[in-house]
Amino acid sequence: KSPNSFSSLKRQIPSQSTNGSSCIHRHPLSFRRRSSIVEEVEIMATFELYRRSTIGMCLTETLDEMVQSGTLSPELAIQVLVQFDKSMTEALESQVKTKVSIKGHLHTYRFCDNVWTFILQDAMFKNDDRQENVSRVKIVACDSKLLTQ
Amino acid sequence: MATTTSGVYIHVIEDVVSKVREEFVNNGGPGESVLSELQGIWETKMMQAGVLSGPIDRSLVQRPTPGGGPLTHDLNVPYEGTEEYETPTAEMLFPPTPLQTPLPGTADNSSMYNIPTGSTDYYNTPGTENGSNADVKARPSPYMQPPSPWTNPRLDVNVAYEPERGNTNQQFTQDLFVPPSGKRKRDDSSAQYQNGGYIPQQDGASDAMPQVPRDVICSSSKIPQVDGPMPDAYDEMLSTPNIYSYQGPSEDFNEARTPAPNEIQTSTPVVAVQNDIIEDDEELLNEDDDDDELDDLESGEDLNTQHLVLAQFDKVTRTKSRWKCNLKDGIMHINDKDILFNKALGEFDF
Repeated sequence: KSPNSFSSLKRQIPSQSTNGSSCIHRHPLSFRRRSSIVEEVEIMATFELYRRSTIGMCLTETLDEMVQSGTLSPELAIQVLVQFDKSMTEALESQVKTKVSIKGHLHTYRFCDNVWTFILQDAMFKNDDRQENVSRVKIVACDSKLLTQ
Repeated sequence: MATTTSGVYIHVIEDVVSKVREEFVNNGGPGESVLSELQGIWETKMMQAGVLSGPIDRSLVQRPTPGGGPLTHDLNVPYEGTEEYETPTAEMLFPPTPLQTPLPGTADNSSMYNIPTGSTDYYNTPGTENGSNADVKARPSPYMQPPSPWTNPRLDVNVAYEPERGNTNQQFTQDLFVPPSGKRKRDDSSAQYQNGGYIPQQDGASDAMPQVPRDVICSSSKIPQVDGPMPDAYDEMLSTPNIYSYQGPSEDFNEARTPAPNEIQTSTPVVAVQNDIIEDDEELLNEDDDDDELDDLESGEDLNTQHLVLAQFDKVTRTKSRWKCNLKDGIMHINDKDILFNKALGEFDF
């Protein structure tokens, strides 16, 4: 049987006895199998919103061109995009230390599908180094709790 | 650890490429060369967007040598390529013009963009690889580009060189409308973000019709009809109320906004007008249900021109009309700059 088959996994799942003592004897290998399944599920959950950034759009366009020209298969292109989602999220978490404060007039707000969309007018973005003013800006924010990393 | 925006981007690119390398190389994937091409094109686009700077190649540490060159450059001129660095890849993207920029003075790149985001350190490796096209293919080349994609759709350059009248008229009026021509085929995903891009300059969304006919049509309400195909255009005209409608029940305006489709519509003017009346009313009834401004922002406006923040939120609260939100891990594109943040505190008044 394939090591990842569910039936083989079932064998490994400990059963709880009624007296509370659950004696768990698992072959260590089973942990790896289970975790690999779980891992696969987690991989699929990525935030696609970063694809709308400059770097994301550049990548999307590049992939589109290559798929159009037949250089790349669409499946592989999607894999690259998913990897980009993960890498970008990770990089923002680990490599960036900037704090920014945003102030402005809230023109519109929307919360749909766990995504907040704000449209600000006359907004000011300030961080330690500098300040930016914009007359209109859109903020799109996904729920950070949705991403299990 | 990379601390600049550009550095983080380079890190991300490398990370992505290294993690997908296995998919490319094994399991019958397209191979390492395709992966390199992907990376090269990606980096090229980012350099042209003005968000990537400095020595791109991690293994070769190249310091850009600032050279002479015009400090100011009109972003509204079409893309000018350096023939020395013509690569098949770049050629596919941007047809080079006869204008040449000096090779060593690749600081010209920075001047092209007018973007202060570390753009002075433009990639200069080709200084050591003169005329070596093969290498340049894998590297970002100092290609000039049309106005930064944030102010101008990147791929529109190609469209600009293939003027097509019919396209022009349609594109001015509907940002949602995907021109029927095949030359936009690679543009599907970002078609909605672009204004159709016949003209490489971005003067604003409303710089639509340079022609007079609109006014003429407005006043006459009798449009010379030319029988012809393209019922699709007509249908799409109706299905994009954002562009067509907001003038009120006056079908003149609706028709006027799209003189091209009008001319092409079948049937006599009278019948066409009646159809318009009926369908416009129905459209109008539904239109104002949505927040026009939000919709316009998302669909009508070129996404690249608006300031945008993409982030995750930890908490969003409101007290009366005072909103507060905690954001994290965001990418901001404002004032033509890319700024990354780890945390952001927002306070808005509604």
